[in-house]
Amino acid sequence: MAKPKSDLLQGTLDLLILKTLELEPMHGWGISQRIQQISEDVLQVNQGSLYPALHRLEDQGWVSASWKASENNRQAKYYQLTALGRRQLVSEKENWLRLSTAVARIVGA
Amino acid sequence: MGRKLLAIFRFLTHRSKDERDLDRELRYHVDRQTELNVQRGMDTQEAHRQAVLSVGGIEPLKEECRDARAGRTVEALLQDIRYGVRVLLKNPGFSAAAVLTLALGIGANTAIFSVVYGVLLRPLPYRDGAQLVVLHQQLKQAQIDDMPFSVKEINDYCDRNHTLTGIVEHHTMNFLLIGKDTAERVETAVVSANFFDVLGVKPILGRTFVMADDRKDAPAVLILSYKYWQTHQSGDPNIIGKVFQMNNRPHTVLGVLPPIPQYPSESDVYMPTSQCPSRSSPAFIQDRNSRMMTAFARLKPGTPLDKAQADLSVAASQMVAANPDVYPSKYGYQMAVAPLQNELTQKGRTAFLVLLAGAGFVLLIACANVANLLLARVLKLEREFAVRAALGASRGRLVRQLLTESVMLSLVGGVLGLALAPAALAVLVKFAARLTTRAAEVHIDLPVLLFTMLMSLATGVLFGLLPAFSMGQWVSEAFKQAGGRITTSRSRHRMRSLLVVAQVAVSFVLLIGAGLMVRSFSKLQQVSPGFQPDHLVTLRFSPGFPPYTQETLPPLLDTVLRKVKAVGGVQSVAITSGFPLNPSGIVNGPNANEFQIEGHPVPVDSPKPQTTLRFVTPEYFDTIREPVVKGRAFSDHDDAKALPVAIVNQSLARHRWPDEDPIGKRVKFERDPRWLQIVGVVGDVKDYGLDRPFADAVFQPVKQAGFSNRLVVRTSLDPSAVSPLLRATFHEIDPHIAVDQVETMERLEYDSMASPRVMTILLGIFAGLALVISASGIAAVMALSVTQRSHELGIRMALGAERSKIVGMVVKQGLSLAFVGTLIGMAGAALLARTLSTMLYDTKPTDVLTFLAVSLVFLSVAAVACFIPARQVTAIDPLSALRQE
Repeated sequence: MAKPKSDLLQGTLDLLILKTLELEPMHGWGISQRIQQISEDVLQVNQGSLYPALHRLEDQGWVSASWKASENNRQAKYYQLTALGRRQLVSEKENWLRLSTAVARIVGA
Repeated sequence: MGRKLLAIFRFLTHRSKDERDLDRELRYHVDRQTELNVQRGMDTQEAHRQAVLSVGGIEPLKEECRDARAGRTVEALLQDIRYGVRVLLKNPGFSAAAVLTLALGIGANTAIFSVVYGVLLRPLPYRDGAQLVVLHQQLKQAQIDDMPFSVKEINDYCDRNHTLTGIVEHHTMNFLLIGKDTAERVETAVVSANFFDVLGVKPILGRTFVMADDRKDAPAVLILSYKYWQTHQSGDPNIIGKVFQMNNRPHTVLGVLPPIPQYPSESDVYMPTSQCPSRSSPAFIQDRNSRMMTAFARLKPGTPLDKAQADLSVAASQMVAANPDVYPSKYGYQMAVAPLQNELTQKGRTAFLVLLAGAGFVLLIACANVANLLLARVLKLEREFAVRAALGASRGRLVRQLLTESVMLSLVGGVLGLALAPAALAVLVKFAARLTTRAAEVHIDLPVLLFTMLMSLATGVLFGLLPAFSMGQWVSEAFKQAGGRITTSRSRHRMRSLLVVAQVAVSFVLLIGAGLMVRSFSKLQQVSPGFQPDHLVTLRFSPGFPPYTQETLPPLLDTVLRKVKAVGGVQSVAITSGFPLNPSGIVNGPNANEFQIEGHPVPVDSPKPQTTLRFVTPEYFDTIREPVVKGRAFSDHDDAKALPVAIVNQSLARHRWPDEDPIGKRVKFERDPRWLQIVGVVGDVKDYGLDRPFADAVFQPVKQAGFSNRLVVRTSLDPSAVSPLLRATFHEIDPHIAVDQVETMERLEYDSMASPRVMTILLGIFAGLALVISASGIAAVMALSVTQRSHELGIRMALGAERSKIVGMVVKQGLSLAFVGTLIGMAGAALLARTLSTMLYDTKPTDVLTFLAVSLVFLSVAAVACFIPARQVTAIDPLSALRQE
């Protein structure tokens, strides 16, 4: 299996996607835009790795997808969190916090 | 797991929709990004180009998305299967040969495994069958392994043991069952009232016995076996309560047993012990030496066999101590406990396991052959594989594809084999029925199907992996020489040679096995039975007591002899209590009657001489053509009023009077006060099977001994034409005389050899298959080798080598493989043939003649198999070989 061509830490992309979808259902392009905006362009999500990640998450049952009219009136594939995904998000958030505090401690020391 | 399967299923069923969705989704993204880029001031074309670039190209991204999905491996598998089907269809010869070989191998294994599973492995169909045991009384010094029990002995063990939940008894009797207008001999099992409870058998109709049924004054009751109910009462659902006359009393049917194997023998009906006239007589019950029963028991839950054995040995020694006169220490009395399952299957175990091994060998040989064929095909395809490897197919993917092909072949072979198995099974079940009462349980059921599936998969993986592994080495090699000629690597050639050698060795072992059986069987067929079996008919007739009595029976026998003699086509007729090659005699072996010889008193505590005892009318020896070698045969004057006389056979004369003339000597049997004077000696006869040694025998005239109910008839016509006339004659004498077991002696002789015959035929078939498969294996390898070496051979020829010499060289190369295989096979056969020794008659497992003959046959077949492909050499054109250079 091919690995996502991401500069982000392994697994971080999943967390970002889940977190983004926590607010509202969103299509792929929207997710990539949202991540860039919120991170104030610090995180340039490699758009090539976004879609395989979305498909993988869908396969795992953390997100579900449906076709809906988008803001420019075209049909787009919207992803939304499932109950399973919400639980996953909680645990991934905890993981991330633990990891980032640890890294921060080392770097700050 | 369920989710995953669902995802895979979804993946497979929604593929075209998923593809469309993926396309739309990515297009939407690119379009939005393009719009954004245009807003940022790019021109439309550049905006689109940048948008596509930002995702790294549409198609690669799609591939990545597909890879992210579960079921991707399944899709790759489907691709492999599609490709495999195409390849296999393109090589119909190869595929058909492979599938057929595998089908034969798998079919044979399935059939034999069903027997082994049904008979040896499946738990007994009784409740907790593993707890059931059989008790054996043994007299070690007299070499008696299975002495029947007396009532007192069974009671003693019941009282003295601490490890059994119940001991039950069983013996069989032959009674006349009289219905409204029928009279039938029925094999009757006489059992303890709790017999079925201890075994844990529930009736399918009615009920089984309760203790009250076994009381002296209880109304007489019967339980029918499933088979008897089906075949003789046409499965009558209202059979419960039906009344039959038996032993001059009305007997009511209580229940019907389920279809289960019966032990120790198949019986028609069951009755409690109180109903059996001999078993219930006070004299019989009181006499510790009146033995006729078999004893079964159930171990208390959790009791291991060795603990029960120790417990019963203690009980045995207590019993011996209390009755020293009955069990003299010189007899070496002891008690042995054996699991019922072993007892049921003991006789067949070796035969079934040998057959399973034989079938397994055939499958292995078949696998080697298919592996070789596949290897040959891979060699032809190496350039294709090299190109695919160069284009990025991983080695794993290529190996997987080969495995897919081989497993497909083996699965198709498995399905075909499964289709062949039932036919083979029908033959096998008949064979198994001679060796165990469990044969009826043999079916192709779920465990067997599972076995077949696993076996097919395993064979596929086995013969797929061999070529796949050898492939790994040359893919890299292929890169270096891409486009050029790819030379055969040494290791691959060595692997093919190894496969051939292994095939030859295994086939050789099988051929030796079959050869030994054939030799043993042909020896068996040459055994003279000691009488003339052709033109003989035998039957059993059963007049009831009453209406017949001790007084009216002798006249009846006279009438029977007179009337039967008058039947057209009858040469001579005799009445006897038994005759040679009688099926029950073959099953049970010689019966042991103790006797004394006048002037040779036997010390009280040592074993008495034993012999078969048979009652015959005067014409018996003449009818079966058993020669009188000394003295005289019986005559009509040897009747109840005359001097009691006896005739012995040569075997007994040799054993008891090695240096004296037995004529005039006197012998006496237990429970018969008379001394019998020996008046003649007759030749030895194979009474209990052609493969058995002669047994000692004493004959008495029927008129001086007792009632006998077997008829032997010598006919001048075809004996089977006379049989219906015999039945009619008995019907004329008295329609209430049951006549059954009408058989020609030739049939009985043929049947007596059925087990060795079937073993010989089956092993012969396996060996034949093995020979053909490995010969074709040799031929295929040699053919390939010639093709690959055509260049080299062409140059040799161009340099002046004679064609015949080159053919010889190729043949020699193939033969040397066969020779090495034969040597290895010989060593293996010398080791393995010993397992056959119990099934061989007068043939040593290392019979030199068999080994020589088999080697000769094998090497000649191998020579032919080498010669055919070697002749291709003549088609090689030396000039073209030179031009290539």
